[in-house]
Amino acid sequence: MSWLESLPNYTAYGTPSYFIYLLIAVLPMGISLYFGKRLAWYEAIVSFLFIFFMFDGSSAPQMLSLIGYVVYQTILVMGYFHYRQKKNAAGVFYLMTLLSLLPIIIVKFTPAMVGHNSLLGFLGISYLTFRAVGTIIETRDGAVKDLNWWKFIRFLLFMPTITSGPIDRYRRFSKDYRKVPSREKYLEMVGKAVKYLFIGFLYKFVLAYLFGQVWLPFVKHQALMYAPHLSWWVVAVAYVYAGDLYFDFAGYSLFAVAISYLMGVETPMNFNKPFVSKNIKEFWNRWHMTLSFWFRDYIFMRFVFLASKKHWFKNRNVLSSVAYMINMLVMGFWHGVTWYYILYGFLHGSALVINDWWLRYKRKHLHIKTNAFTKGVAMFITFNFVVFSFLIFYGFLNTLWFVKH
Amino acid sequence: MNNRRKLWSIFGPVIVACLLVLGFFALPWSSSHSQATLQKAADSLSPRVFKNSSIKVAAMQDKKKNYIPFFGSSELNRMDRYHPAVMAARYHNYTPFLFGSRGTQSLPQLFNMTMMAPEMKNGKAVYIISPQWFVKEGVMPSAFKYYNGTYANLTWLKQANPDSPYDRYTAKRLVKLLGAEGSVANYAKKIADGKHLSSWDRTRIDMESTLLKHEDELFSGWFLKDNYNDRIKPRINELPKTYSYSALTKEAISDAKHSSNNNRFGILNQFYDRRVKGHLKDIPGSQKHYSYLKSPEYADLEVVLNQLKKTNTNVVFMITPVNAKWEKMTGLSMPMYYQTANKIKYQLRSQGFNNIVDYSHDGGKPGFMEDTIHIGWAGWVNFDHRIAPFLEQKQPQPHYHMNKAFLSSEWQNLNPTTANLNQFTKDHLDK
Repeated sequence: MSWLESLPNYTAYGTPSYFIYLLIAVLPMGISLYFGKRLAWYEAIVSFLFIFFMFDGSSAPQMLSLIGYVVYQTILVMGYFHYRQKKNAAGVFYLMTLLSLLPIIIVKFTPAMVGHNSLLGFLGISYLTFRAVGTIIETRDGAVKDLNWWKFIRFLLFMPTITSGPIDRYRRFSKDYRKVPSREKYLEMVGKAVKYLFIGFLYKFVLAYLFGQVWLPFVKHQALMYAPHLSWWVVAVAYVYAGDLYFDFAGYSLFAVAISYLMGVETPMNFNKPFVSKNIKEFWNRWHMTLSFWFRDYIFMRFVFLASKKHWFKNRNVLSSVAYMINMLVMGFWHGVTWYYILYGFLHGSALVINDWWLRYKRKHLHIKTNAFTKGVAMFITFNFVVFSFLIFYGFLNTLWFVKH
Repeated sequence: MNNRRKLWSIFGPVIVACLLVLGFFALPWSSSHSQATLQKAADSLSPRVFKNSSIKVAAMQDKKKNYIPFFGSSELNRMDRYHPAVMAARYHNYTPFLFGSRGTQSLPQLFNMTMMAPEMKNGKAVYIISPQWFVKEGVMPSAFKYYNGTYANLTWLKQANPDSPYDRYTAKRLVKLLGAEGSVANYAKKIADGKHLSSWDRTRIDMESTLLKHEDELFSGWFLKDNYNDRIKPRINELPKTYSYSALTKEAISDAKHSSNNNRFGILNQFYDRRVKGHLKDIPGSQKHYSYLKSPEYADLEVVLNQLKKTNTNVVFMITPVNAKWEKMTGLSMPMYYQTANKIKYQLRSQGFNNIVDYSHDGGKPGFMEDTIHIGWAGWVNFDHRIAPFLEQKQPQPHYHMNKAFLSSEWQNLNPTTANLNQFTKDHLDK
């Protein structure tokens, strides 16, 4: 293993020079797609190399976990796929889903139980889990017709999105893969890719740098001077962190989408101007969209269907409120088992419930005309609530209050 | 549009932009900083100056002004009439170049020094040590990151020697404080493990350093905080023309009295109103459990000392006092404070760093402190009086002899009782 650790490590999209290597490697694929052909083998080799360099060097211990994880999920998904061609018992489906979730459950609970990170973990395990579990669910629904181990691994480990999404769905992904985009369509995708790359550079290497590397350390430093007491600096931490989080993640997602486009795959977008949302529900339709839609489709909707079928609730509003709370609390736990992630989920669940109630109440009792002013107020409230919830999410309050300085 | 036009409209602007950027950074821009910029930078306390190289290198090379680096932390920002920068401008043949703000403890200073190591060779320097640095966790990662930059890290990495215990220790600290992510951490990890950087690593470091160097030369001089014109220069002529230590002390004490008359601690009025008054009820006993005796900071200080030996810098140290009246209320243990000073002095003296101004006992003298833990007024006058002769007159060559036992966790965690120090001497120094 030591030779592995001595190799250089290249985090995905970590430095500007990474893009030089990546774009050179992608170029032959682009030329080939332009002439109407996919270079399947070349793509596999390039993907393998880039993934290899994400998980070697100082991250080398994670490589074994990644390999073990991929083997395990492939066996589960393929096993279930073959089973599903013949039978469709609910018990088997739940068992397979649970088994597929098992690694991430262990990884997320280990720090809270044992006090250190699980050896099973690796960068991107969450995103691979979403893809694997999603495939099992789509298989159950009969939406997956065409699957073998190679196609599954190609989807699971799709290089541009491996460590942090966006989260694609197997059915959509495989449809892109079966065909080669027309020259006209591909040029359109390349045009978008170039634009996204440059917006991504602005977000990640300029704005996220300013927020995250220049301002954030400063305001944190100031705020910690007053620890464990609150100060106005904590407010500054909240806003600066929100800027850092957004520009860093949105920049990253733009890179992933752009590189996917160059490789002829239309990976879905992850952000759509989240901070202009007029309520929290709209926010979740604009923020980390592939995650939020995944949760909506596979947790919220599934729960609503199940509960309606079994008549667990008489009142539809109570049903949706419970579903919101479950949805967001699961999301909180998924981020990690710490008080601040769980509280973050709880806050967003509550906000969705209150938002629904307010919209109903407004429709019934108040007759407010929507105009620029009300929209502005709504955006202001939503934005500030979100920033506050990010402060919780950040865990800075944990550092401020509970870590001894 | 045909496809070729389409391709050009997609990639044309990118190609043009790349050429422009490359051209911009590759052109040999003149990098000289004006005298005015250097003077401004010397008192700006700016993290940008701290993290970069070109300005301080230019200042240290400057023959006219005789800049001398003053390494310290927040006390450097106490710019009253008797601040070393004002005193030097009025009475001495040197100009302090101030390096430090809140949070610049030994490790940030090491990287700062590394960026001007050739210029510090055989020169003189002042190093102000605050016992408050020596907390159990050492320098806070947030503070470290604020004063640390990639350019400095790469410069340090280029000269780091994996066979040196000092460099391995520094690399380990770097990984710990920056986190294991990123290329700097990757290189530092290698040094920490005692491995040499590969020639490919070096090529990449050189390439990135070159870009950062140009960036530094082009932009570091912009928008510097103008402490010199706002807070230093107007005060120079407020000082009497001829130097008299006793007259200045008298004047400083009376200044202190006037400026600190709204509280019983002798704290500057504005500081008291802004920072103390609101929290008065939380203060009694709040520092009872503080201890500066065990800290990684001792080993961090050791790598700074090693750097000063490498550059053969003749250095005078100052150990800062605390406001005695104030600490009586906070409950800070003064015996602990004196012990901390003793541990620091032991570390300095046993390796040949003998020029030490220890103020740990002086925080009760009239007008000595400007606020709770920062020297001012009569304190500055005395400081100037003690260091100016050292800086102005020719000094004998220093003879430093480093001992890596001061990097050990044994030393970091040693309770410096006389018996323990004697034992440490026997175990590690008498060889």
